[in-house]
Amino acid sequence: MKLRFLAVILMGCMTTLAGLAQASVVDTLQQEYKTAGAGPFSAAKGEKMWVEKHKDAESGKEFSCQTCHTDDLKKSGKHEKTGKVIDPLAPSVNKERLTDIKFVNKWFLRNCKQVLGRECTPQEKGDFLEYLKGQ
Amino acid sequence: MIDRNQKNDRSVLVWDLPVRLFHWLLVTAFAMAWLSYEDNRYLDVHTFAGYTFLGLLIFRLVWGVFGTHYARFREFSYGPGDAIAYIKGLFGDDMRRYVGHNPAGAWAIFALIAMGLVLTVSGLFVLGGEERHGPLAGIVGFRQSVPFRETHEFVAYTLLLLVFVHVCGVLVESFFHRENLVGSMFRGTKSVATATLGVRPHRLVGATIIAVVAAYVIATFGGYLTATKEKPYLPFQGPHLVMNDPWTEACSECHLAFHPSLLPLRSWQQILKQQADHFGDDLALDEKTVNELLAYAQKNSADLEQTEPAWRMNSNIPSSETPLRITDVSYWKRKHEEVDAEVWKRNEIKNRANCGACHFDAKQGTFEDADMRIPGENAFDGIEWLKAILGGKDK
Repeated sequence: MKLRFLAVILMGCMTTLAGLAQASVVDTLQQEYKTAGAGPFSAAKGEKMWVEKHKDAESGKEFSCQTCHTDDLKKSGKHEKTGKVIDPLAPSVNKERLTDIKFVNKWFLRNCKQVLGRECTPQEKGDFLEYLKGQ
Repeated sequence: MIDRNQKNDRSVLVWDLPVRLFHWLLVTAFAMAWLSYEDNRYLDVHTFAGYTFLGLLIFRLVWGVFGTHYARFREFSYGPGDAIAYIKGLFGDDMRRYVGHNPAGAWAIFALIAMGLVLTVSGLFVLGGEERHGPLAGIVGFRQSVPFRETHEFVAYTLLLLVFVHVCGVLVESFFHRENLVGSMFRGTKSVATATLGVRPHRLVGATIIAVVAAYVIATFGGYLTATKEKPYLPFQGPHLVMNDPWTEACSECHLAFHPSLLPLRSWQQILKQQADHFGDDLALDEKTVNELLAYAQKNSADLEQTEPAWRMNSNIPSSETPLRITDVSYWKRKHEEVDAEVWKRNEIKNRANCGACHFDAKQGTFEDADMRIPGENAFDGIEWLKAILGGKDK
Protein backbone atom coordinates (compact mmCIF):
# COMPACT_ATOMS: atom_id res chain seq x y z
CA MET A 1 0.00 0.00 0.00
CA LYS A 2 2.73 2.35 1.06
CA LEU A 3 4.74 1.46 -2.04
CA ARG A 4 1.88 2.10 -4.39
CA PHE A 5 1.25 5.45 -2.72
CA LEU A 6 4.90 6.35 -3.15
CA ALA A 7 4.81 5.29 -6.79
CA VAL A 8 1.77 7.46 -7.48
CA ILE A 9 3.43 10.49 -5.89
CA LEU A 10 6.69 9.91 -7.73
CA MET A 11 4.93 9.52 -11.06
CA GLY A 12 2.88 12.63 -10.42
CA CYS A 13 6.06 14.57 -9.62
CA MET A 14 7.80 13.34 -12.72
CA THR A 15 4.87 14.18 -14.97
CA THR A 16 4.71 17.66 -13.49
CA LEU A 17 8.44 18.11 -13.90
CA ALA A 18 8.32 16.94 -17.49
CA GLY A 19 5.40 19.27 -18.13
CA LEU A 20 7.30 22.15 -16.56
CA ALA A 21 10.41 21.35 -18.56
CA GLN A 22 8.37 21.27 -21.75
CA ALA A 23 6.61 24.51 -20.95
CA SER A 24 9.89 26.20 -20.13
CA VAL A 25 11.65 24.95 -23.28
CA VAL A 26 8.83 26.09 -25.56
CA ASP A 27 8.59 29.42 -23.67
CA THR A 28 12.33 29.99 -23.77
CA LEU A 29 12.54 29.28 -27.48
CA GLN A 30 9.50 31.37 -28.35
CA GLN A 31 10.90 34.19 -26.23
CA GLU A 32 14.12 33.89 -28.21
CA TYR A 33 12.19 34.07 -31.51
CA LYS A 34 10.28 37.14 -30.26
CA THR A 35 13.56 38.85 -29.49
CA ALA A 36 14.49 38.16 -33.10
CA GLY A 37 11.36 40.03 -34.15
CA ALA A 38 8.86 37.19 -34.59
CA GLY A 39 5.43 36.63 -33.03
CA PRO A 40 2.69 36.30 -32.12
CA PHE A 41 2.57 32.53 -32.75
CA SER A 42 -0.37 30.58 -34.10
CA ALA A 43 -1.05 26.83 -33.79
CA ALA A 44 -3.25 26.95 -36.89
CA LYS A 45 -0.40 28.34 -38.99
CA GLY A 46 1.94 25.72 -37.54
CA GLU A 47 -0.47 22.95 -38.50
CA LYS A 48 -0.88 24.32 -42.01
CA MET A 49 2.90 24.28 -42.54
CA TRP A 50 3.08 20.83 -40.95
CA VAL A 51 0.91 19.22 -43.65
CA GLU A 52 2.09 21.38 -46.56
CA LYS A 53 3.92 19.44 -49.28
CA HIS A 54 7.22 20.53 -50.80
CA LYS A 55 8.83 19.25 -53.91
CA ASP A 56 12.43 18.10 -53.56
CA ALA A 57 14.50 19.84 -56.24
CA GLU A 58 16.72 16.81 -56.88
CA SER A 59 14.43 13.79 -56.74
CA GLY A 60 11.17 15.52 -57.65
CA LYS A 61 9.48 13.69 -54.76
CA GLU A 62 7.03 15.51 -52.53
CA PHE A 63 7.80 15.78 -48.85
CA SER A 64 6.00 17.11 -45.84
CA CYS A 65 6.62 16.70 -42.13
CA GLN A 66 4.09 13.90 -42.29
CA THR A 67 6.26 11.87 -44.68
CA CYS A 68 8.24 10.67 -41.69
CA HIS A 69 6.10 11.63 -38.70
CA THR A 70 2.88 10.22 -40.26
CA ASP A 71 -0.50 11.97 -40.11
CA ASP A 72 -0.95 11.01 -36.47
CA LEU A 73 1.51 12.70 -34.13
CA LYS A 74 0.57 10.32 -31.34
CA LYS A 75 1.97 7.39 -33.33
CA SER A 76 5.50 6.31 -34.19
CA GLY A 77 6.90 7.41 -37.52
CA LYS A 78 9.63 6.12 -39.77
CA HIS A 79 12.71 7.73 -41.28
CA GLU A 80 11.99 8.09 -44.96
CA LYS A 81 15.37 6.78 -46.10
CA THR A 82 16.70 4.47 -43.42
CA GLY A 83 13.42 3.17 -42.03
CA LYS A 84 14.54 3.89 -38.46
CA VAL A 85 11.55 4.20 -36.11
CA ILE A 86 10.80 7.72 -34.88
CA ASP A 87 9.08 7.97 -31.50
CA PRO A 88 5.74 9.84 -31.36
CA LEU A 89 6.13 13.61 -31.43
CA ALA A 90 3.02 14.53 -29.45
CA PRO A 91 4.02 15.53 -25.89
CA SER A 92 0.74 14.03 -24.64
CA VAL A 93 2.03 10.52 -25.39
CA ASN A 94 5.79 11.12 -25.33
CA LYS A 95 6.84 13.09 -22.26
CA GLU A 96 10.37 13.58 -23.50
CA ARG A 97 9.30 15.71 -26.43
CA LEU A 98 10.04 19.46 -26.36
CA THR A 99 12.07 19.18 -23.15
CA ASP A 100 15.60 19.58 -24.51
CA ILE A 101 16.54 22.86 -26.20
CA LYS A 102 19.60 21.43 -27.96
CA PHE A 103 17.57 18.53 -29.31
CA VAL A 104 14.77 20.78 -30.59
CA ASN A 105 17.26 23.14 -32.27
CA LYS A 106 19.15 20.31 -33.92
CA TRP A 107 16.05 18.74 -35.40
CA PHE A 108 14.58 22.08 -36.51
CA LEU A 109 17.79 22.62 -38.47
CA ARG A 110 17.89 19.13 -39.97
CA ASN A 111 14.20 18.71 -40.71
CA CYS A 112 13.64 22.20 -42.14
CA LYS A 113 16.54 21.63 -44.51
CA GLN A 114 15.20 18.21 -45.44
CA VAL A 115 11.63 19.26 -46.14
CA LEU A 116 11.87 22.94 -47.11
CA GLY A 117 15.41 22.90 -48.42
CA ARG A 118 16.30 25.79 -46.13
CA GLU A 119 16.40 26.72 -42.47
CA CYS A 120 13.12 27.81 -40.88
CA THR A 121 12.53 31.41 -39.83
CA PRO A 122 11.97 32.23 -36.14
CA GLN A 123 8.31 32.92 -36.97
CA GLU A 124 7.87 29.48 -38.53
CA LYS A 125 9.61 27.74 -35.65
CA GLY A 126 7.45 29.59 -33.14
CA ASP A 127 4.31 28.54 -35.02
CA PHE A 128 5.47 24.92 -35.19
CA LEU A 129 6.09 24.86 -31.44
CA GLU A 130 2.71 26.45 -30.77
CA TYR A 131 1.06 23.68 -32.79
CA LEU A 132 3.14 20.80 -31.44
CA LYS A 133 2.89 21.66 -27.75
CA GLY A 134 -0.88 21.20 -27.84
CA GLN A 135 -0.71 17.73 -29.38
CA MET B 1 41.33 -65.29 -42.80
CA ILE B 2 38.90 -68.00 -43.65
CA ASP B 3 38.63 -70.33 -46.52
CA ARG B 4 35.57 -69.28 -48.42
CA ASN B 5 34.56 -72.85 -49.01
CA GLN B 6 34.25 -73.41 -45.31
CA LYS B 7 30.66 -73.61 -44.18
CA ASN B 8 29.49 -70.42 -42.49
CA ASP B 9 26.94 -71.52 -39.98
CA ARG B 10 27.33 -69.24 -37.00
CA SER B 11 26.55 -65.60 -36.43
CA VAL B 12 29.06 -63.87 -34.18
CA LEU B 13 29.66 -60.27 -33.13
CA VAL B 14 32.53 -58.77 -35.14
CA TRP B 15 31.94 -55.01 -34.77
CA ASP B 16 31.37 -54.01 -31.17
CA LEU B 17 28.89 -51.24 -30.33
CA PRO B 18 31.53 -48.44 -30.04
CA VAL B 19 32.89 -49.29 -33.51
CA ARG B 20 29.43 -49.19 -35.07
CA LEU B 21 28.51 -45.94 -33.30
CA PHE B 22 31.81 -44.43 -34.37
CA HIS B 23 31.15 -45.41 -37.97
CA TRP B 24 27.62 -44.05 -38.28
CA LEU B 25 28.22 -40.93 -36.21
CA LEU B 26 31.25 -40.21 -38.39
CA VAL B 27 29.07 -40.62 -41.50
CA THR B 28 26.47 -38.25 -40.00
CA ALA B 29 29.08 -35.65 -39.00
CA PHE B 30 30.69 -35.78 -42.45
CA ALA B 31 27.34 -35.31 -44.18
CA MET B 32 26.43 -32.48 -41.79
CA ALA B 33 29.71 -30.71 -42.50
CA TRP B 34 29.19 -30.94 -46.25
CA LEU B 35 25.61 -29.71 -46.06
CA SER B 36 26.46 -26.75 -43.85
CA TYR B 37 29.71 -25.43 -45.29
CA GLU B 38 28.34 -23.14 -47.96
CA ASP B 39 25.91 -20.94 -46.06
CA ASN B 40 27.69 -18.85 -43.40
CA ARG B 41 24.52 -18.89 -41.35
CA TYR B 42 25.15 -22.53 -40.47
CA LEU B 43 28.70 -22.14 -39.25
CA ASP B 44 27.56 -23.38 -35.86
CA VAL B 45 26.33 -26.60 -37.47
CA HIS B 46 29.56 -26.90 -39.42
CA THR B 47 31.83 -26.47 -36.40
CA PHE B 48 29.62 -28.83 -34.40
CA ALA B 49 30.11 -31.44 -37.12
CA GLY B 50 33.86 -30.78 -37.19
CA TYR B 51 34.40 -31.11 -33.45
CA THR B 52 32.26 -34.26 -33.39
CA PHE B 53 34.29 -35.66 -36.28
CA LEU B 54 37.57 -34.94 -34.49
CA GLY B 55 36.31 -36.35 -31.20
CA LEU B 56 35.21 -39.55 -32.92
CA LEU B 57 38.58 -39.93 -34.65
CA ILE B 58 40.44 -39.51 -31.37
CA PHE B 59 38.20 -42.12 -29.77
CA ARG B 60 38.87 -44.45 -32.71
CA LEU B 61 42.64 -44.05 -32.28
CA VAL B 62 42.30 -45.13 -28.65
CA TRP B 63 39.92 -47.95 -29.55
CA GLY B 64 42.34 -49.09 -32.24
CA VAL B 65 44.81 -49.89 -29.48
CA PHE B 66 42.61 -50.90 -26.54
CA GLY B 67 39.43 -52.02 -28.30
CA THR B 68 38.14 -55.45 -29.21
CA HIS B 69 39.93 -57.85 -31.54
CA TYR B 70 38.69 -56.68 -34.97
CA ALA B 71 38.83 -53.01 -33.97
CA ARG B 72 42.56 -53.09 -33.24
CA PHE B 73 44.86 -51.55 -35.80
CA ARG B 74 47.25 -54.44 -35.38
CA GLU B 75 44.55 -56.79 -36.57
CA PHE B 76 44.22 -55.02 -39.91
CA SER B 77 47.72 -53.76 -40.57
CA TYR B 78 48.45 -55.23 -43.96
CA GLY B 79 51.32 -54.45 -46.28
CA PRO B 80 50.64 -52.93 -49.70
CA GLY B 81 51.34 -56.37 -51.23
CA ASP B 82 48.43 -57.88 -49.31
CA ALA B 83 46.07 -55.19 -50.58
CA ILE B 84 47.16 -55.68 -54.20
CA ALA B 85 46.89 -59.46 -53.86
CA TYR B 86 43.40 -59.05 -52.41
CA ILE B 87 42.25 -56.80 -55.26
CA LYS B 88 43.76 -59.12 -57.86
CA GLY B 89 42.03 -62.00 -56.14
CA LEU B 90 38.66 -60.33 -56.61
CA PHE B 91 39.06 -60.72 -60.37
CA GLY B 92 40.51 -64.20 -60.23
CA ASP B 93 39.64 -67.39 -58.43
CA ASP B 94 41.70 -66.74 -55.35
CA MET B 95 38.96 -64.76 -53.58
CA ARG B 96 39.60 -64.69 -49.90
CA ARG B 97 37.21 -63.72 -47.22
CA TYR B 98 38.25 -61.84 -44.11
CA VAL B 99 36.08 -61.62 -41.00
CA GLY B 100 37.35 -58.16 -40.07
CA HIS B 101 38.66 -55.58 -42.53
CA ASN B 102 40.10 -57.00 -45.72
CA PRO B 103 43.56 -55.63 -46.74
CA ALA B 104 42.20 -53.17 -49.30
CA GLY B 105 39.50 -52.01 -46.92
CA ALA B 106 42.07 -51.65 -44.15
CA TRP B 107 44.11 -49.26 -46.28
CA ALA B 108 41.00 -47.23 -46.94
CA ILE B 109 40.27 -47.08 -43.19
CA PHE B 110 43.76 -45.81 -42.37
CA ALA B 111 43.60 -43.28 -45.17
CA LEU B 112 40.15 -42.10 -44.00
CA ILE B 113 41.38 -41.64 -40.44
CA ALA B 114 44.56 -39.83 -41.50
CA MET B 115 42.72 -37.55 -43.94
CA GLY B 116 40.02 -36.97 -41.35
CA LEU B 117 42.64 -35.74 -38.90
CA VAL B 118 44.18 -33.40 -41.47
CA LEU B 119 40.70 -32.15 -42.34
CA THR B 120 39.62 -31.37 -38.79
CA VAL B 121 42.93 -29.91 -37.67
CA SER B 122 43.11 -27.63 -40.72
CA GLY B 123 39.49 -26.71 -39.94
CA LEU B 124 40.55 -25.63 -36.44
CA PHE B 125 43.19 -23.37 -38.00
CA VAL B 126 40.60 -21.77 -40.30
CA LEU B 127 38.20 -21.34 -37.38
CA GLY B 128 40.90 -19.72 -35.28
CA GLY B 129 42.28 -17.57 -38.08
CA GLU B 130 39.22 -16.38 -39.95
CA GLU B 131 36.54 -16.50 -37.31
CA ARG B 132 38.63 -15.97 -34.18
CA HIS B 133 37.00 -18.90 -32.47
CA GLY B 134 38.12 -22.26 -31.13
CA PRO B 135 41.41 -23.19 -29.45
CA LEU B 136 43.53 -21.38 -32.07
CA ALA B 137 41.63 -18.07 -31.86
CA GLY B 138 44.04 -15.17 -31.84
CA ILE B 139 47.02 -17.46 -32.49
CA VAL B 140 46.55 -17.71 -36.24
CA GLY B 141 46.33 -14.41 -38.13
CA PHE B 142 43.65 -13.63 -40.74
CA ARG B 143 46.10 -13.82 -43.61
CA GLN B 144 47.91 -16.86 -42.20
CA SER B 145 44.66 -18.81 -42.29
CA VAL B 146 44.43 -18.73 -46.10
CA PRO B 147 46.64 -21.81 -46.79
CA PHE B 148 44.79 -23.72 -44.07
CA ARG B 149 41.50 -22.90 -45.75
CA GLU B 150 42.84 -24.21 -49.04
CA THR B 151 44.08 -27.39 -47.33
CA HIS B 152 40.73 -27.78 -45.58
CA GLU B 153 38.82 -27.56 -48.86
CA PHE B 154 41.19 -29.82 -50.77
CA VAL B 155 41.19 -32.51 -48.08
CA ALA B 156 37.40 -32.36 -47.82
CA TYR B 157 37.18 -33.34 -51.49
CA THR B 158 39.89 -35.98 -51.10
CA LEU B 159 37.97 -37.48 -48.20
CA LEU B 160 34.77 -37.46 -50.22
CA LEU B 161 36.60 -39.38 -52.93
CA LEU B 162 37.92 -41.86 -50.35
CA VAL B 163 34.39 -42.33 -48.99
CA PHE B 164 33.29 -43.11 -52.54
CA VAL B 165 36.09 -45.67 -52.93
CA HIS B 166 35.23 -47.15 -49.52
CA VAL B 167 31.51 -47.47 -50.38
CA CYS B 168 32.37 -49.03 -53.76
CA GLY B 169 34.68 -51.50 -52.03
CA VAL B 170 31.93 -52.45 -49.60
CA LEU B 171 29.48 -53.01 -52.45
CA VAL B 172 32.00 -55.05 -54.45
CA GLU B 173 32.87 -57.27 -51.52
CA SER B 174 29.22 -57.66 -50.52
CA PHE B 175 28.43 -58.75 -54.05
CA PHE B 176 31.33 -61.18 -54.47
CA HIS B 177 30.94 -62.79 -51.07
CA ARG B 178 27.18 -62.63 -51.11
CA GLU B 179 26.99 -61.10 -47.71
CA ASN B 180 25.43 -57.88 -46.45
CA LEU B 181 28.38 -55.85 -45.16
CA VAL B 182 26.27 -52.70 -44.67
CA GLY B 183 23.89 -54.70 -42.52
CA SER B 184 26.86 -56.00 -40.54
CA MET B 185 27.92 -52.46 -39.73
CA PHE B 186 24.45 -51.93 -38.23
CA ARG B 187 23.99 -55.24 -36.43
CA GLY B 188 27.66 -55.91 -35.79
CA THR B 189 27.35 -59.60 -36.62
CA LYS B 190 28.70 -61.71 -39.44
CA SER B 191 28.12 -65.34 -40.39
CA VAL B 192 31.39 -67.10 -39.82
CA ALA B 193 32.96 -70.50 -39.39
CA THR B 194 32.27 -72.33 -36.18
CA ALA B 195 35.77 -71.87 -34.91
CA THR B 196 35.66 -68.04 -34.95
CA LEU B 197 35.07 -66.31 -31.64
CA GLY B 198 32.91 -63.24 -31.29
CA VAL B 199 33.86 -60.04 -29.47
CA ARG B 200 32.35 -58.34 -26.43
CA PRO B 201 29.69 -55.73 -27.34
CA HIS B 202 31.00 -53.07 -24.88
CA ARG B 203 27.57 -51.55 -24.38
CA LEU B 204 28.75 -49.27 -21.57
CA VAL B 205 31.36 -47.61 -23.79
CA GLY B 206 28.67 -47.29 -26.50
CA ALA B 207 26.24 -45.69 -24.05
CA THR B 208 28.95 -43.24 -22.98
CA ILE B 209 29.54 -42.19 -26.61
CA ILE B 210 25.81 -41.60 -27.09
CA ALA B 211 25.60 -39.61 -23.85
CA VAL B 212 28.58 -37.40 -24.73
CA VAL B 213 27.30 -36.66 -28.25
CA ALA B 214 23.79 -35.98 -26.93
CA ALA B 215 25.16 -33.59 -24.31
CA TYR B 216 27.17 -31.82 -27.01
CA VAL B 217 24.07 -31.49 -29.21
CA ILE B 218 22.11 -29.93 -26.33
CA ALA B 219 24.98 -27.61 -25.40
CA THR B 220 25.31 -26.39 -28.99
CA PHE B 221 21.74 -26.20 -30.22
CA GLY B 222 19.69 -26.06 -27.01
CA GLY B 223 19.73 -22.26 -27.21
CA TYR B 224 17.51 -22.32 -30.30
CA LEU B 225 14.72 -23.90 -28.24
CA THR B 226 14.54 -21.06 -25.74
CA ALA B 227 15.16 -18.29 -28.26
CA THR B 228 12.43 -15.80 -29.04
CA LYS B 229 12.05 -13.23 -31.77
CA GLU B 230 13.04 -10.49 -29.33
CA LYS B 231 15.89 -12.44 -27.81
CA PRO B 232 17.39 -14.62 -30.53
CA TYR B 233 20.00 -17.25 -29.81
CA LEU B 234 23.52 -16.23 -30.79
CA PRO B 235 25.61 -19.36 -31.33
CA PHE B 236 28.78 -17.29 -31.52
CA GLN B 237 29.83 -14.45 -29.26
CA GLY B 238 32.15 -12.07 -31.02
CA PRO B 239 34.86 -10.06 -29.29
CA HIS B 240 33.75 -7.14 -27.15
CA LEU B 241 34.44 -4.20 -29.42
CA VAL B 242 34.86 -0.79 -27.88
CA MET B 243 31.65 1.25 -27.88
CA ASN B 244 31.42 5.00 -27.57
CA ASP B 245 28.39 6.89 -26.29
CA PRO B 246 28.71 10.02 -28.47
CA TRP B 247 29.16 7.81 -31.54
CA THR B 248 26.17 5.59 -30.72
CA GLU B 249 24.03 8.62 -29.90
CA ALA B 250 24.95 10.69 -32.94
CA CYS B 251 24.73 7.88 -35.47
CA SER B 252 21.67 6.08 -34.16
CA GLU B 253 19.48 9.17 -34.47
CA CYS B 254 18.65 8.20 -38.04
CA HIS B 255 20.05 4.70 -38.53
CA LEU B 256 21.98 1.86 -36.93
CA ALA B 257 25.19 3.17 -35.37
CA PHE B 258 27.50 1.27 -37.72
CA HIS B 259 30.61 0.25 -35.87
CA PRO B 260 33.75 2.13 -37.03
CA SER B 261 35.41 -1.25 -37.73
CA LEU B 262 33.30 -1.50 -40.88
CA LEU B 263 35.09 1.25 -42.84
CA PRO B 264 38.67 2.56 -42.92
CA LEU B 265 39.56 5.74 -41.06
CA ARG B 266 39.78 7.81 -44.27
CA SER B 267 36.09 7.05 -44.90
CA TRP B 268 35.02 8.21 -41.45
CA GLN B 269 37.16 11.34 -41.80
CA GLN B 270 35.51 12.14 -45.11
CA ILE B 271 32.02 11.46 -43.75
CA LEU B 272 32.58 13.82 -40.84
CA LYS B 273 34.23 16.42 -43.04
CA GLN B 274 31.11 16.69 -45.15
CA GLN B 275 28.70 16.35 -42.26
CA ALA B 276 26.71 19.36 -43.46
CA ASP B 277 25.66 17.22 -46.42
CA HIS B 278 25.39 13.72 -44.98
CA PHE B 279 23.60 11.98 -47.84
CA GLY B 280 21.36 15.02 -48.08
CA ASP B 281 21.07 15.79 -44.37
CA ASP B 282 22.85 18.39 -42.28
CA LEU B 283 24.12 16.63 -39.17
CA ALA B 284 24.91 19.94 -37.45
CA LEU B 285 27.42 18.32 -35.11
CA ASP B 286 29.51 20.72 -33.05
CA GLU B 287 33.29 20.70 -33.28
CA LYS B 288 33.77 19.01 -29.91
CA THR B 289 31.53 16.09 -30.92
CA VAL B 290 33.23 15.75 -34.30
CA ASN B 291 36.63 15.52 -32.62
CA GLU B 292 35.34 12.91 -30.17
CA LEU B 293 33.94 10.85 -33.02
CA LEU B 294 37.17 11.10 -35.00
CA ALA B 295 39.27 10.03 -32.02
CA TYR B 296 37.02 7.01 -31.51
CA ALA B 297 37.06 6.11 -35.21
CA GLN B 298 40.84 6.30 -35.27
CA LYS B 299 41.16 3.70 -32.51
CA ASN B 300 38.55 1.34 -33.94
CA SER B 301 38.44 1.68 -37.72
CA ALA B 302 38.64 -1.18 -40.20
CA ASP B 303 42.35 -0.48 -40.77
CA LEU B 304 43.03 -2.11 -37.39
CA GLU B 305 41.35 -5.35 -38.53
CA GLN B 306 39.95 -6.23 -35.13
CA THR B 307 37.31 -8.57 -36.56
CA GLU B 308 36.75 -10.70 -39.63
CA PRO B 309 34.41 -8.15 -41.27
CA ALA B 310 36.95 -5.39 -40.53
CA TRP B 311 39.71 -7.42 -42.16
CA ARG B 312 37.55 -8.35 -45.16
CA MET B 313 36.31 -4.80 -45.71
CA ASN B 314 39.73 -3.25 -45.25
CA SER B 315 41.57 -5.65 -47.53
CA ASN B 316 38.81 -5.30 -50.12
CA ILE B 317 38.95 -1.52 -50.43
CA PRO B 318 41.75 -0.24 -52.71
CA SER B 319 43.83 2.35 -50.89
CA SER B 320 42.97 4.86 -53.62
CA GLU B 321 39.28 4.66 -52.73
CA THR B 322 37.34 6.22 -49.89
CA PRO B 323 33.89 4.63 -49.80
CA LEU B 324 31.28 6.61 -47.90
CA ARG B 325 28.74 3.83 -47.75
CA ILE B 326 29.39 0.36 -46.33
CA THR B 327 27.09 -0.98 -49.03
CA ASP B 328 29.39 0.42 -51.75
CA VAL B 329 32.24 -1.91 -50.79
CA SER B 330 32.55 -4.84 -53.17
CA TYR B 331 33.01 -7.32 -50.31
CA TRP B 332 29.66 -6.23 -48.89
CA LYS B 333 28.05 -6.53 -52.32
CA ARG B 334 29.46 -9.99 -52.89
CA LYS B 335 28.28 -11.19 -49.50
CA HIS B 336 24.75 -9.95 -50.18
CA GLU B 337 24.36 -10.79 -53.83
CA GLU B 338 22.32 -13.89 -53.08
CA VAL B 339 19.73 -11.81 -51.24
CA ASP B 340 16.87 -11.31 -53.69
CA ALA B 341 15.34 -7.91 -54.42
CA GLU B 342 12.09 -9.22 -52.94
CA VAL B 343 13.81 -9.94 -49.62
CA TRP B 344 15.11 -6.37 -49.31
CA LYS B 345 11.56 -5.08 -49.73
CA ARG B 346 10.23 -7.05 -46.77
CA ASN B 347 8.72 -4.91 -44.03
CA GLU B 348 11.23 -6.05 -41.44
CA ILE B 349 14.15 -5.06 -43.68
CA LYS B 350 13.15 -2.34 -46.16
CA ASN B 351 16.61 -0.87 -46.35
CA ARG B 352 20.17 -1.96 -46.97
CA ALA B 353 21.34 0.09 -44.01
CA ASN B 354 19.12 -1.93 -41.70
CA CYS B 355 21.83 -4.49 -40.83
CA GLY B 356 20.13 -5.44 -37.58
CA ALA B 357 17.12 -6.86 -39.41
CA CYS B 358 19.14 -10.00 -40.17
CA HIS B 359 22.37 -9.69 -38.15
CA PHE B 360 21.56 -10.17 -34.48
CA ASP B 361 24.91 -8.70 -33.43
CA ALA B 362 24.89 -5.72 -35.81
CA LYS B 363 24.89 -3.21 -32.93
CA GLN B 364 28.01 -4.81 -31.42
CA GLY B 365 29.68 -4.65 -34.84
CA THR B 366 30.89 -8.25 -34.71
CA PHE B 367 28.74 -9.75 -37.53
CA GLU B 368 29.43 -13.35 -36.57
CA ASP B 369 28.67 -15.82 -39.36
CA ALA B 370 26.02 -17.85 -37.58
CA ASP B 371 24.39 -14.92 -35.76
CA MET B 372 21.95 -14.05 -38.50
CA ARG B 373 18.61 -14.94 -39.94
CA ILE B 374 16.63 -13.43 -42.78
CA PRO B 375 13.24 -12.42 -41.37
CA GLY B 376 10.34 -14.17 -43.02
CA GLU B 377 12.40 -17.21 -43.94
CA ASN B 378 11.54 -20.39 -42.15
CA ALA B 379 15.08 -21.50 -41.52
CA PHE B 380 14.22 -22.82 -38.11
CA ASP B 381 10.91 -24.44 -38.87
CA GLY B 382 12.34 -27.64 -37.44
CA ILE B 383 12.98 -25.83 -34.19
CA GLU B 384 9.43 -24.42 -34.14
CA TRP B 385 8.11 -27.91 -34.67
CA LEU B 386 10.26 -29.30 -31.86
CA LYS B 387 9.16 -26.46 -29.58
CA ALA B 388 5.51 -27.23 -30.33
CA ILE B 389 6.02 -30.87 -29.39
CA LEU B 390 7.91 -30.06 -26.20
CA GLY B 391 5.37 -27.38 -25.31
CA GLY B 392 2.52 -29.79 -25.97
CA LYS B 393 3.99 -32.31 -23.58
CA ASP B 394 4.14 -29.75 -20.80
CA LYS B 395 0.41 -29.24 -20.99
